[in-house]
Amino acid sequence: MADFGGDSGGRLKGVTIVKPIVYGNIARSFGKKREEDGHTHQWKVYLKPYFNEDMSIYVKKVHFKLHESYANPNRIVVKPPYEVTETGWGEFEVVIKIYFNDQSERPVTCYHILKLFQSPVVDGELTSTTTMDTKKGLVSESYEEIVFQEPTQVMQHYLMLSEQSSNGLLSHDTDFEEKKTKTLDNIVNVKKKVKGEILTLKDKLKLARETISKFKAELAKVQKAPT
Amino acid sequence: MSADVRDILDMERANTPEVTKDSFLATKKRNFERTKHASRRPEGMHREVFALLYTDKKDAPPLLPTDTALGIGGGYKQTKARLGMKKVRKWEWAPFANPARTDAAAFHHWKRVSDDSGEYPFAMFNVQLEIPSYTMTEYNAHLRNNITNWSKVQTDHLFDLARRFDLRFIVMADRWNRQQHGDKTVEDLKERYYEVVALLAKAKNQTIEKRVYSYDPEHERRRKEQLEKLFKRTTLQVEEEQILINEMKKIEARKKERERKTQDLQKLISQADQQNEHASSTPSTRKYEKKLHKKKVHHQPRPSKVDSVVNAIEIGSSGIKFADLRGSGVSLRSQKMKLPANIGQRKVKALEQAIQEFKVDPAPPPTEDICTSFNELRSDMVLLCELRTALSTCIYEMESLKHQYEAACPGKTLNIPPSMAPLKTETLDNTTN
Repeated sequence: MADFGGDSGGRLKGVTIVKPIVYGNIARSFGKKREEDGHTHQWKVYLKPYFNEDMSIYVKKVHFKLHESYANPNRIVVKPPYEVTETGWGEFEVVIKIYFNDQSERPVTCYHILKLFQSPVVDGELTSTTTMDTKKGLVSESYEEIVFQEPTQVMQHYLMLSEQSSNGLLSHDTDFEEKKTKTLDNIVNVKKKVKGEILTLKDKLKLARETISKFKAELAKVQKAPT
Repeated sequence: MSADVRDILDMERANTPEVTKDSFLATKKRNFERTKHASRRPEGMHREVFALLYTDKKDAPPLLPTDTALGIGGGYKQTKARLGMKKVRKWEWAPFANPARTDAAAFHHWKRVSDDSGEYPFAMFNVQLEIPSYTMTEYNAHLRNNITNWSKVQTDHLFDLARRFDLRFIVMADRWNRQQHGDKTVEDLKERYYEVVALLAKAKNQTIEKRVYSYDPEHERRRKEQLEKLFKRTTLQVEEEQILINEMKKIEARKKERERKTQDLQKLISQADQQNEHASSTPSTRKYEKKLHKKKVHHQPRPSKVDSVVNAIEIGSSGIKFADLRGSGVSLRSQKMKLPANIGQRKVKALEQAIQEFKVDPAPPPTEDICTSFNELRSDMVLLCELRTALSTCIYEMESLKHQYEAACPGKTLNIPPSMAPLKTETLDNTTN
């Protein structure tokens, strides 16, 4: 590892490094309620790189905060795979906090709603992608990007090392590439639609205002004139 | 118990037998027998009630009907005091020695025979203080530091008093020989005493094992002066102070109120500013205009909501201004899509509905492109919602004008352009034409 001397805390102006990640959970039902504790599912909540690389080069530890009803709900994982396997009966929000190897970079926090049950598909209720896989069970995961703006030299070094360890694409349960393009296309389309509607509305509004002033004038005329 | 109650109420007491020695000694036995009976349920009492009464120690409850078939003579009436029946311990008139006395005077006091403590129990209160002493040479070497105020004779007198009165400085000040040594206050005495002690300790290199009490005479003098002043206040002054305190409280309350009002006003102004931004070019004129505007507000009718929306649209201040996440550090891309906190609840709601209406993923995978276009889209959507409400307000206004016109001159009507509210116009046109 290179030595950065005294100014290792200095930040690199104008540099931005992006690390895509995926976080979520898989869950499998026991098929029945377990006798001793009423648990119904086994689940695994995880955080992994989007590309196949060694995250531990730049990540110091990952802190999974489970529901308080679990024995020691604060689970800290220091090396990959960053995951926690547990059993349970309920869905709750898992707080995933990522600490970096350079202490001067603040940790970032993701929030994942642990999914155990396939929710009925409702419009606009697609917070994270849930898919049902007969072999693996229920998968609910989200795509995220960690943005390092003007990282410290040490951090940049770690990030580059991690980049070099990269070994192509990691296969994910959700096809995020497809999702990205689809989403972007959809947004662009809708934007066009909205823009169009805005234009027509503006015209209408203009007309309406003209009409209103015309009406007002007419009304004034009628009210003044003796009938 | 019930006997006590009867006593208090001055009611006739049941025939309690006169307490004689025999009957008194017999109470114990009788008691025992009675408790045995009492733990049985009296006739006619419900089992549940009885269970409530007899939950804890099985002792008799304070009030229990005693006129049962089982009723035994005196019931629960107790004979009065039951004194200990033990043998009395003996006292004797014994001599004792007080170690505080040097003259071996013999005194006597009463004590129990069984107590065989050799030591006089009050000897422990005779605490001997350790008051340092100094020789002439020591005095000359170290203590001649304050000759103007303290001579050797005065210092000697001070230490003599200290020894005699165990450092009770108040007493020492009282017994201070004023004729010979002049006036000294308690503080003066204390100051000199602790000074000498400190100097001696330093000279004998004892500072480490003995912590020297450091005395701050100035502080003490001020403290006493203040207390004196506080004590000598007249009622008038006390009242005045109370009045002043109340005044201050009032002033502070008013100040808070004023600050709150200024804040509210500031909010209003900044809101108005956003709407009027286009109207003025330089900040100074804008401020001036704003002032004028404020003054005029009372006379002018409030501009309708439509106007403000239209203005906002024209200058493009409508929509959402997303936070710009510049600056260094790590962040998650999805943070860029977070709605800024200053957006109103109504706007957020409208936006949610629009997102559902156009079937957009409310939390798309946050790549840079998607974030940017998603934010632009939502800004447009807010604008769209505002336009829609503005238009419906316009249509409402048009219709009300039309009705006014129709009322003013029957038989005639005004034609709303057909492109407006296409659903409504048809039916309206049919009825009006």
